[in-house]
Formats: sequence, C-alpha cells, structure tokens
Amino acid sequence: MWNWLPRLAKPSDLRKAGVMGMNRRNYDIIAPNNDRRLYPLVDDKVKTKTLANKIGISTPGLIGTIEHQYEVKNILEIVRERKDFVIKPAQGSGGKGVLVILDHNGDTFTTASGRSVSYAEIYQHISNILSGLYSLGGRYDVAVIEELVHFSDIFKDYSYQGVPDVRIIVYKGYPAMAMTRLPTKASEGRANLHQGAVGVGLDIQTGEALHGVQWNEPVTRQPDTGADLMGIKVPYWREHLIIGAKAYEMTGLGYLGADIVLDAYRGPMMLELNARPGLAIQIANGKGLRAKIREIDKFYPQGLTPEQRVDYVLSLKY
Amino acid sequence: MLKKFTSVRFILSILLVLSIAFAAYSIYYKVEYWGFNFAPKQNSDVWTIEAHISFEPNGEPIKVSLTTPQNSSAYKVLEENVVASGYKIKKNGTRMVLTAPAQENPQDIYYRVMLFDNIDTRGKTKAPRPPKPQAPVMEEQRLAAAKQILAIAAKLPGDSVSQVIRLLNQVPPEATVQSYLPLKKTQAEMASQLRDLLAIKEIPTRVVRGFRLEENKKSFNPDLMLEAYIDNQWKIYDIKTGDKGLPENFVVFQRGGTSLIDVEGGDNSSIKFSVIKSVTSSISLAGRRAKLAGQKSRFDYSIYSLPLAEQNTLKWLAIFPLAILVIVLMRNVVGLQTMGTFTPMLLSMALVKTGFWPGIICFGVIIGIGLVMRFVLSKLNLLLVPRISSVVIFVIIIMQMLTVAGYKMHFDIGQSAVFFPIIIMAWIIERASITWEEDGAVNAGKEVFYSIVVAIVVYVIIRDEYIRHIMYAFNELNLVILVIVMLLGTYTGYRLTELKRFRPLVKG
Repeated sequence: MWNWLPRLAKPSDLRKAGVMGMNRRNYDIIAPNNDRRLYPLVDDKVKTKTLANKIGISTPGLIGTIEHQYEVKNILEIVRERKDFVIKPAQGSGGKGVLVILDHNGDTFTTASGRSVSYAEIYQHISNILSGLYSLGGRYDVAVIEELVHFSDIFKDYSYQGVPDVRIIVYKGYPAMAMTRLPTKASEGRANLHQGAVGVGLDIQTGEALHGVQWNEPVTRQPDTGADLMGIKVPYWREHLIIGAKAYEMTGLGYLGADIVLDAYRGPMMLELNARPGLAIQIANGKGLRAKIREIDKFYPQGLTPEQRVDYVLSLKY
Repeated sequence: MLKKFTSVRFILSILLVLSIAFAAYSIYYKVEYWGFNFAPKQNSDVWTIEAHISFEPNGEPIKVSLTTPQNSSAYKVLEENVVASGYKIKKNGTRMVLTAPAQENPQDIYYRVMLFDNIDTRGKTKAPRPPKPQAPVMEEQRLAAAKQILAIAAKLPGDSVSQVIRLLNQVPPEATVQSYLPLKKTQAEMASQLRDLLAIKEIPTRVVRGFRLEENKKSFNPDLMLEAYIDNQWKIYDIKTGDKGLPENFVVFQRGGTSLIDVEGGDNSSIKFSVIKSVTSSISLAGRRAKLAGQKSRFDYSIYSLPLAEQNTLKWLAIFPLAILVIVLMRNVVGLQTMGTFTPMLLSMALVKTGFWPGIICFGVIIGIGLVMRFVLSKLNLLLVPRISSVVIFVIIIMQMLTVAGYKMHFDIGQSAVFFPIIIMAWIIERASITWEEDGAVNAGKEVFYSIVVAIVVYVIIRDEYIRHIMYAFNELNLVILVIVMLLGTYTGYRLTELKRFRPLVKG
C-alpha cells in the first residue's frame, strides 16, 4: 500500500555513514567558519578574480566589464578582437546567466549549444544581468566578459558541450572532498548537478574517479557520449588541490567550494568560489562529508602553508 | 565552538519551559478572571434588565429590599447599578437594601442589571441535595383530594412533576382539580399549590422568578417557573405547560427566596421590568468581567481593550506566528523548496478569503495566463523592471476580467480573484518563468507545486476557527511559538527529503 512512497533512509543509518545534512551544514559548518562579511569576496566574480591573481592563482582572463545600461552597446567594441568569450553576471550563482559564445560574425553570435543568437538578444541578456535578474537577492549587478576556457582534451569524451569543472570542498584550508561535474544534454551544457549534469566523485589523493551520479542516481557512463566514467583521472591533481587550499588564505572562509577548470594551454584555473557549496558531492563520492570534517578537526595539523597542507593530505595513508 | 552552540540550545530550552509556564498561567488567568473560552463562540447574549420600583411614601422612614440576581454558572452579572437619589445602598447577600429618611413625594427607584447568559451551562449543574420538604399542613378532606389528584396525575404522560403540572392546567379542568384549586389562579397561587402537592410526594421544589426575554419588552411582571430536585439536579418546569427545561428565552432572576421586593414606609408599591437584549462578542465582555474580578488594570493594557476594528486586524496578525512555524517546519524539517519564504503564507491567507476551490482555480488561472503572457513578453526583449511591471499590470487586468466574468455568470470563483495579492502573483510568475528558463519546466513546476502544498497545509491550519480563536484569545502562545522557532534554528538533523536524497550513501 505504501509502495508509492519514496523509500527513505533511516536517519541513524545516514548518521552512521557520516552524511551531512543541509541543516547541519548551515549550523555547524558554515555559521561558525564563514564570516558573513567575507561573502562579497566570493559572491562578486570580479573581486574574486582580482584577489586570486594577486596571490598567484590563475583565472580566465578578463576581457571587460559592463557596469551601466548605457555601456551595453559597447559589447561589440569589447569583443571585436575575440573569437570566443563568456558573458556572466559578477554576482551570479549556480551558473545562472552564463552565456558562452563560441563565435560571432557581425550581428550574429553562436552559443555553446550551436544556437544562433542576435545582437538584440545579447543586448537583452546583458541588460538583464545589470538589472539584477541573476544576482543574489536581485541587486544591481555588473556583467563580466571573460576569456573562454579551452578545456583540456582529457574531458572531451566526458562532456556534452559546456565546460566540465572540478569542485573541491576545502575545510579549514584542507581539501576534503572533490568531484568533477560533467555537462550533459539534460543540463543543457551546464555543470550543475540539479540541472542534470553528471557528478563524478574523485579520490582526494589521486584525482581518480570513484562514483558517478546523475539525478541522485548512480551512473557508470556519460549518458550522451557513452564514455566510461571510471576511466577519469584528472591530471595536474596536486595543482588543483593547491588552488583549493590557497583559496582559504585568499578569502578566510573556513568552508568553501572551489570550482576549477583545466585549460589546455594554461593548466588548472580557478573559475569561481562558493561560500555555501552544495552537498551533492557526498553522493558523487559515495561518502559522507561529516566524517571527513571530523577527521580534519581532530587530527590535521594547524598553521601550515597551502602547499604543506596539500602535501599532508597527499601523504596520508589509508 | 560546539560547546557554545549546545549552550545556546540549552538556554533556548529553558526559555521554552519558561514561556510554556507563562502561557499556561496566562491562559488559566484569562479563563478564570476574564471568562475567555477555548471554543470560538463568538457572540454572547447580554441582557439588560431594568426594574422600576415606584411607591408612595407614608411618612415613615423608608426601607426597600429587593432581590437581585446572583452569579451562577448559568449567567454572570456584568454590571449592576441603582438610580436612587437620597438612598443609602447596602448589599446584603442576594438582597439589596435601600434606606432613606421619610419622604413626601412619590418615589421612583431604578435598578439596572446586565446579565451575561451562558446558555451552554444552563440546567446542567449538579447541586447538593436540599433538605426534605416539610409536608404541608392540610385538613383531612383536602389532603385526600390532593392524594386523589396525585393518583390521577400518575396516569398522564411525562415525569412525576410534569404530570402534576399538566393535570392542574388541564382545560376543561378535572372535577377534583376544580374543587381543589381556588378560583383565582394567579401564577404565584399555582406555584404554591404545586409546591404543596409535590411536597406530599417528598420532592423538594423552589420557585424561580425570571423573565421570558423578548426584545424591548416593557412593564411586565416576572414569570414564575418551578424547579424540582430530581436525580441530584435541579430541573426546571414551566408551570403552565409542564414542559421540562429552561425555555430558550427565559432568564432566571431569582431562585427560591421569599419576596421579590419589600417596601417599608411606602404604599401602593409596584415593580415593573423591562428587558433589552444586546449581542456582544464574548471577548468584548471580558473587560466587564475583569472588572468584576478586580483585574481591571491588567485588562486595560491587553489587546482586548482596543476598539473592535483594531482587534480584527490583530486577530489576523495573531495567526501569523503559527503559519510561520508551519513554514519553518516545512522548509527546515521536511525540506520542501518553495518560492520565497513567506509566499505560501500569503497564498494561504488569500485562500481563506476566497474559499478553497475557488481560490485554487483562480490561482491556477492567473498563474497560467500570466506565464503565457510572460513568455510572450520575453520575446520582446524588454528590460527587467518594465517587464516585471507589465506582468503586474497584466495580472491586474486578468483579475478584473475574472471578477467581471464571475459576476456576470453568477460564478463565485471569478470574484475571488481580487483577494490574491497582485505583487505576489506577479512575482511568482516572474520567478517561475526564470526557473523555467534556467532549470527547466520540471524544476519550475516543482517549486510552484511545493509552494501550493505548503500554502494548503498553512490554509488548513489557519482556516480552523478553533485555532484562530485560540491563537487570538490566548496570544501568549505566540511567545511559545517564537521560542520553538528559535529552537528550530538550532536543529541540525536531517530533513525528510534528505532521507531520500542521501539514501544511496547508506552502506549495504
């Protein structure tokens, strides 16, 4: 009779598996570790980029910004010399309002999905960004135009359009958990799990695939390309981890999510930071985050440099 | 760090206990001294009975003694006042005694009493057993007649008391009855004959004076009824029909006792009554009751001393905290993602005003047409603020059309459109269409659906008249809710939806 009810896990089982729930994340992890005053550093992508470049983390190059409505028409001027570029809101979240342009010719632009878009639509999109449609809390925003990441060939088979990235959860400066997010047809080329992207948990020491997940269900192959997800091994893994670890010193946030892309020419680059990273990473890793955080709180040394912390994590024997 | 938070939880738990204790005391206080009721009986009848006593002084010092009603479970005296210039007033148990030196002119004394009639408890009160009635002193012949009457009465329908009353009132009268009763049958005479007859059967009785209340009835004498003690209760009988139970419109003024009024030092005394009924909300009576209980000052600073218009607004406000508690539970314990935090609450408020189905249908129509409109607008590439504004204006136009259509077609559904807060509707449309574009139709539909689910849950709770009444009459419960909400702010357990979401992580 109750078969139609979704089968629920027992709370005690979840606790045993060290799963972190949303309430605990907000109350026990974010509230004591992330000072609200620091949020603008990660909520504003221009600020993040400036800070990152200052301490030597590479980010996609900034082409230009548009701050006021009367500047919107300058877009053609700004991108004249560029073939491909990305328009995104400085304070957007969850990939909202990100427009990837692969090519443009006069008044027509080609997006990542191959769709043709007119100048009027680009104009409208930037206007929407400025009026705060995509920003947190609907604040007036700035449109950021930056270089497109030429993502590394190793992800080519795993991704449907869009840019696959690596998300690393950093707790008190230590990389705690990682996954790669692969855009799919269902997610319309976006790397957001709730939109249907595939998440693949990565071993924090090696960067090798652990589990694949889409729509909260286990998957072993990329649904669009059919590639075996378990074959993923992210190169330059130590560099990825160091970017994540450095983000701690850069922002002062005790709990953050670093989104990193692997550029074919420039290596790992920080795309953006998140002060409230989601919990889906646990499903992709097949592991609870809470157990890891307890371990870091209890045993990991304090007062190390980012490089020392990464090496400490890499040297652990399990 | 963890220690600090457990102590926050500890402090809040103590606050919760304190607030519950305070609320419990406060509820007790309101029930006891202000007469608040848990049931939402909105109106109570209040009767104003005025007795006009007039007499001609005969040169002696005057002493007027009048029976006054006393509080009982069936009714409460709210206000009592006497207009009698030059008289000294003394209350002596159930009787009020007015004294004055000798007067010359005809005297008029007015006694006014406001009674709150608690219909619910009428005639249901247990009473201690009165002493056995004394057998009436009668000559042998009359006693035989009385016994014969009782024997005949036993064949009539009804219980032993109504049998006797019915027999005595039979038209044409039974031969025995006719010879037994005096010729002049006043109510008082009938009552005393009945008491004698029932005393033979050892049934304790007493005479009840009161009024058949009819609005604006003037100048009449009190009616009499008979109360008999049967099965550990006083039961009341109409002395004309023998019907048991207090008539709907009868209010008891005096039970047992002797005379209604005694006048010394005056002749030709008469007493005339007039009755005015007024319907008052029971909360507005609370002030008078508080005064009776000597708790006036505390009442003056409560919300119930405000004018009714303000009270009605506050009545709406008082239900908000409960609705908010439900929303907190839905979001943080169940884990439903809704559009905006308090949007479902505003929707449910609208549903209360429109009625459930008309509201839901109306909501669906407005959101549906609005979404279509929003998609057309998105083709026009308008700026954000003008676009949202045009959605608002469009929503207003839909509401106008629905209202007109509803009126013309005698279709109540359409007319309820006006109760939906337009800004909220426009905002839902905008939010839904953006979620639609960004996260797909499924996510947009889910958010709207969950918002409606939460709105319906809130609606079911706030629509309930009992809950609404209790949250208003016992507004100290809001304090308890506040602390519960704060405690929920420290809840770090799993949300219900997470039990499904994280199920793949359970080992084995």
